[in-house]
Amino acid sequence: MATEAKRSAETPIRAEDLPRANAAVVRLQIDHHAVEVPEASTVLRAAELAGVSVPSLCSHPELSPFGGCRLCGVEIAGVRGYPLACSTPVAEGMQVTTDTVALRETRREILQLILSQHPASCLVCGEEEDCRRTLTTIRKAGVATGCRSCTNDGDCELQRVAEQVGVGEFGYPVTYRGLEPEHDEPFYDRDYNLCILCGRCVRMCAEVRGASVLAFKYRGPRTLIGPAFGTSHEQAGCEFCGACVSVCPTGALADKVSKWDGRPDGVELSTCPFCSLGCQVELAHKDGRLSAARGAHDAEINDGQLCVRGRFCLPEATQHPSRARRPMLRKGRYFRVASWDEALGEVSARLAAAAPRDILMLVSSDLTNEGLYAAQRLVRSGLGSEGIDSTAGEDLPGGPAAWSRLFALPVSIRAVAEAEAVVVAGLDTRYSFSVAGVQVRRALRRGARLVTIDARDSSLARVADSAMTVRPGEEAQALCRLLHAVRIGDELDDARTLAVVIGPRVFDCPGADQLVSELGALSAREGVTVLPLAHSANLRGALELGALRAVLPGPRPTVQPGGRRALSLAALREGRRPAVLYLVGETPFTERPDCDYLIAQDLYQPPFAVDAFLPAASFAEASGTLTNLEGRVQEQRRVEDLPPGAVHGDARPDWKIFSGLAARLGLPDLEYADDAAVRAAIRAELPGFPAEHDRAPRRMAPLPLPARAAARSPADGATRGRGRFVLIPERAGFRHRGSDLSGAVEGLGELRLEDGLRMCPDDLQRLGVAAGGAVTVRLDGHDLVTVARPDADCPRGSVYATRVEAWGGLTAPMSLDPPARLAALSRLPAQPLRVRVTAGDRTQRSGSADCRTPARARKEEHGPDR
Amino acid sequence: MPAPPTLERRRSLAERRWRALAASPRPVVYVGMGSCGLAAGAGEVHERVQAYLREREVDALVVSVGCIGPCYLEPLLDVQLPGRPRLSYSNMTAELADATLDALLAGEVPKRHLLGYLGNGAGGGDGGATAGGEAAAPSATLDAPRFADHPMLAPQVRIVLRNCGIIDPEMIDHYLARGGYRALEHCLATPPEDVIETVKLAGLRGRGGAGYPTWQKWRFCRDTEADQRYLICNADEGDPGAFMNRSLIEGDPHAVLEGMLIAGYAIGASHGYVYIRAEYPLAIKRLRTAIAAMRKLGLLGERILGSDFSFDITVKEGAGAFVCGEETALIASLEGRRGMPRTRPPFPAVSGLWGEPTIIDNVETLATLAAIVNDGAEQYASRGTETSRGTKTFSLVGKVRRTGLIEVPFGTTLRRVIDDIGGGVAKDFKAVQTGGPSGGCLGEEFLDTPIDYENLAAAGSIMGSGGLIVLDRDTCIVDTARYFLSFTQDESCGKCVPCRVGTGQLVGILEAICAGKAELADLDRLERLAGVVKRSSLCGLGQTAPNPVLSALKYFRDEFVEHIVDHRCRAAVCRDLVEYRIVPGKCTGCQRCVQVCPTGAITGPRAEAHNLDPEKCIKCRSCYEICRFDAIAGDAIVIHSGAGNGD
Repeated sequence: MATEAKRSAETPIRAEDLPRANAAVVRLQIDHHAVEVPEASTVLRAAELAGVSVPSLCSHPELSPFGGCRLCGVEIAGVRGYPLACSTPVAEGMQVTTDTVALRETRREILQLILSQHPASCLVCGEEEDCRRTLTTIRKAGVATGCRSCTNDGDCELQRVAEQVGVGEFGYPVTYRGLEPEHDEPFYDRDYNLCILCGRCVRMCAEVRGASVLAFKYRGPRTLIGPAFGTSHEQAGCEFCGACVSVCPTGALADKVSKWDGRPDGVELSTCPFCSLGCQVELAHKDGRLSAARGAHDAEINDGQLCVRGRFCLPEATQHPSRARRPMLRKGRYFRVASWDEALGEVSARLAAAAPRDILMLVSSDLTNEGLYAAQRLVRSGLGSEGIDSTAGEDLPGGPAAWSRLFALPVSIRAVAEAEAVVVAGLDTRYSFSVAGVQVRRALRRGARLVTIDARDSSLARVADSAMTVRPGEEAQALCRLLHAVRIGDELDDARTLAVVIGPRVFDCPGADQLVSELGALSAREGVTVLPLAHSANLRGALELGALRAVLPGPRPTVQPGGRRALSLAALREGRRPAVLYLVGETPFTERPDCDYLIAQDLYQPPFAVDAFLPAASFAEASGTLTNLEGRVQEQRRVEDLPPGAVHGDARPDWKIFSGLAARLGLPDLEYADDAAVRAAIRAELPGFPAEHDRAPRRMAPLPLPARAAARSPADGATRGRGRFVLIPERAGFRHRGSDLSGAVEGLGELRLEDGLRMCPDDLQRLGVAAGGAVTVRLDGHDLVTVARPDADCPRGSVYATRVEAWGGLTAPMSLDPPARLAALSRLPAQPLRVRVTAGDRTQRSGSADCRTPARARKEEHGPDR
Repeated sequence: MPAPPTLERRRSLAERRWRALAASPRPVVYVGMGSCGLAAGAGEVHERVQAYLREREVDALVVSVGCIGPCYLEPLLDVQLPGRPRLSYSNMTAELADATLDALLAGEVPKRHLLGYLGNGAGGGDGGATAGGEAAAPSATLDAPRFADHPMLAPQVRIVLRNCGIIDPEMIDHYLARGGYRALEHCLATPPEDVIETVKLAGLRGRGGAGYPTWQKWRFCRDTEADQRYLICNADEGDPGAFMNRSLIEGDPHAVLEGMLIAGYAIGASHGYVYIRAEYPLAIKRLRTAIAAMRKLGLLGERILGSDFSFDITVKEGAGAFVCGEETALIASLEGRRGMPRTRPPFPAVSGLWGEPTIIDNVETLATLAAIVNDGAEQYASRGTETSRGTKTFSLVGKVRRTGLIEVPFGTTLRRVIDDIGGGVAKDFKAVQTGGPSGGCLGEEFLDTPIDYENLAAAGSIMGSGGLIVLDRDTCIVDTARYFLSFTQDESCGKCVPCRVGTGQLVGILEAICAGKAELADLDRLERLAGVVKRSSLCGLGQTAPNPVLSALKYFRDEFVEHIVDHRCRAAVCRDLVEYRIVPGKCTGCQRCVQVCPTGAITGPRAEAHNLDPEKCIKCRSCYEICRFDAIAGDAIVIHSGAGNGD
């Protein structure tokens, strides 16, 4: 039998294909090859496993059968017509033929019909071969109608199917639909003229993501795909996860950033550096540059899915033109480029000259394990100082000990999808932790019950069986009460497995330490999984490797409890003045902090004057490992490979910078030849820590609780302060190291997710704040003046603000002139606070830039704040 | 199981009232208020009649009834004077109604527009198939035919339409008096399996078009393990020229609803939906009225008539997409999703609405059930052919003399339907399109074919839901095929390639043929592509969309060839192939055509034959129409097609 169906070289075996203990196996014949597949497989899957390729454009392994392209029709003995391979379930003894003259003819006809509405002149052009090399015929074909001018040329499933089926003599008039491509969306473009209406994007959005943003619009020959009723993707609730782009078989959907990169040179498996879930990503690179990231099919964590940050923000974050790639030193009045030698010499000299107790290093928990370990080792053993701290350490009232107790619980991302009941508190998974949201929705599809606890409306609350709305700041206490009820069997007692997913905001609420205890008690039960989400990609690594205040690698508590004398971020805020302040990927200030010598080591320069800048290599420029919240030590691969020089600069991995300093400080023990050497050092100190990347999840041994930890939160969770509004300071989500991703990534900047204050539209109306108008928030002594944006998810009487722990050297979209009045943001406490809010800029008594009307201004001047 | 006393009491009351209506001491006036009547002006007549009775202070009863069938005679007005039978008058207008009532009340029997007399309870061509009161004997002095002997009604067998036009569809009493809900009572007293067995014995096949045995579908559904099953009544009638379901629901909603209860009981469903297009507002209103009345009598809700069977019915309006008549698209639409078919299996009988086993039955199928139960399966099965039992309703439209809603037993020939019931075609019969846009055009050679599912399919058409469009020599077969194809193209949901793109390409080729721009090779291309669309489309819409083209090509290929080779459209319909000419000998020079010509193509002084400049003519047909109907000569302008000198 002449076969046009080629045996595909690699047939990935997916999890669902593996024989399960009780799954029956069905035997059938595909083109006379005997094959055994699990029952309920489709004929298409069986053919794939038999190594027979059946052409298809609308089917996708992750999605339900659609039956739209009609290419995968096959012949089955005893069955009338041409049943579709993609939607016909296998049956014992079935005899399938995938390639006959009649089938081939039908496929060719259908393909011609598809191509009659898709610019495809190149596919039927006789000079195709020559043109591929020299573009000789591009003028003839017309720029809009050929493959050569398509972003997906060479990486197009339609091209592949056309090759497999053979287009043949083309009998139909070809129509270019002439629809205007959409370029208005933040991350991807949509060209309806290339769309073959396979519906993969629609199904992906509905079935896997549970977002249902995309729909078929209109009907018959006018059918289109997009958000219904002509809304924008953002209005329709799009998560911008890019899953639709990833499954598009043609160039109809394309990433804005990488669409013209063409076929990548290679793809590396790496770990997303943007949050603690540690999603596995496939990094495509082209000409030594990171081109695009796609979700890797990793069954344990993200199973092909990502969030907006992982999918779209990686290339721009590392390639933004304002990346600082060369060492800089302040010399008198000038801040100028220096050689590494010069810079390391100067910095090491300053460090050596300062008294150990006057040195403070702030180190971001976004660094790799290697960077974190080398940092704390340099400070502790090299400089003999206890002056190491991190903004991540401020996140939990209970301190590192509480986090260690959380990581000692059974933590599993995958178990969320398999739970029979899911409790989600203080979390909106639209833009952050979307993969956790995908797992929750997967559980829902399997029939799980979902309970949400939040003060805000959220994407998950809208699909929950029971959505508890609490007052802002009371999420932790409400969750605690619910979990207690679950533990004593009053709630969700029919669920054998339970997952508790907790957003970062909850840990800032009063009562978070009781919550940790309750979680500990609950998880003593079988089948309980806890997902304490943190924005920092390597928070767990920082804890285990001792890159936090008062924690030694292990983690072990510091031997001398004399921490009070050592410098810390809190001490700095209380006014202590370090001699040398060394910022490693941290910028928790809006203006230069008071110190003798300020060093910054980061991807971007901070927005204030520093004395030395050391350019750090980004996640794409250096290899290393990250520890996710489950304790998996996962590999980060280097994909950017640009020659050092004037254009590309010379950024170095963090550990290498610390190693260079150690060499100049005369500390040969702290020098490392490569990242493997750092890992060897880690293993020498911590035999329990995986030496190389090891994706097995680990539970942590909890640190003992400090005696005074319980006293840190107010009794019964009363919110401090006075006023009608509750200010909820949120940890910034769209940050990487010290930098604001919204500044580096254009699309993220367009969404304006974290700029300004977010308030209930009703409140803004009552206050008389116009769209884009400013409000003044009265804090003790420091008034905060900034733009208030209406956010329908916010409850009345709430003000959501993003705490500034990162104001990298990029544009600060929050700034309202003069930026000094944002200073209060860096002084915000972690916990919710009662505040008074008034319209306009109250600090500027006679300001002309006031947005109030004169009458309202007068009223506000004289009327008391209610 | 005896019905609870309330229904029994109500029924005897209803029967008493129904008899009283026939023997009413007051005059009773019936107005046909179905959509067909209303479209013809029944609303005005109804108003006029009421005003008349008020003005003359006549103590009379006015009853609105549904469509009785001969829609071309609408508006129909029946008058029943005390002691006299019910007399039917056709083509009423407000003025005519006045005059007719005047004469009748004065004791005369005006002959103008008189159709005949109708016994209370005896439908046209009733044939004793339904229960009910017998006709009052006409008085010896009455010189009028029986309406049932009207040539359009006489050959019919009205089982499904037993009550249409006879009862007031908004009165549950009328339905009860005519034996309504007896079948339900009977079913509730027997096991559901026996109900399925009865339907099997009756040989009932789905009336939606495909003709799948109803009992088999029910059995699949009943045999599927489930906590919940659903029944859906498919009233999304969308074929151009088809109105069987609309008239049936408007005329006798309880027949459909009783059928739903019987079917729901048989399959073990607890909830039923009527999916009806929003373009049928009157039918929707009647259904809602009927459902409210049923609820009051305990015919819906928990433990119906004291049995263990609980059932409720929801009316769901569709937004008028043709494809939503397809089962899986209908379910999607009902669930609030886009009306888009999905691949099968699983079939709805196994996994349908909300994933539960679901039966979708056509309006007519359901309306037949009560009659089958009441009359017995054998009695029902005795009509029809070997494979197709019972009767079928058709909407007979097009170029026949008598159009309307008819019901005949399977096995009746097309000739009997078109010539006897339809009164024949005025201008040479050309073809009959059965099954609407999914069916085919059958020519003269099929006129003696007995109508049943198999015969129509063998001829390349389908039974469909029952649209019969009769075409005469003034209809261009290519243009008709183009029309149906552009209908299905527009109504395609856009999901699968052959239907979305293929129908468009078919329309493109047909348009080229109509425009005289095609070549003979295009006919092969047309045939091949039609075959691809038929073979490889996802749902019934696409799979049957090429039928009009394929059947037209099969039986009227010469007309296609004529269009292509001779550039001639013999029906003179295809605008690009025709030319307007003035016949010099006939033109009297009345100048009417000169006045209406928008481009000044016609010139000539009064009383002399005019000239038509083909260069300026835009073929708007204005001159042709005015010459035919208004001008002195008439017929002086001809539309000519073809390269030769013409006929």
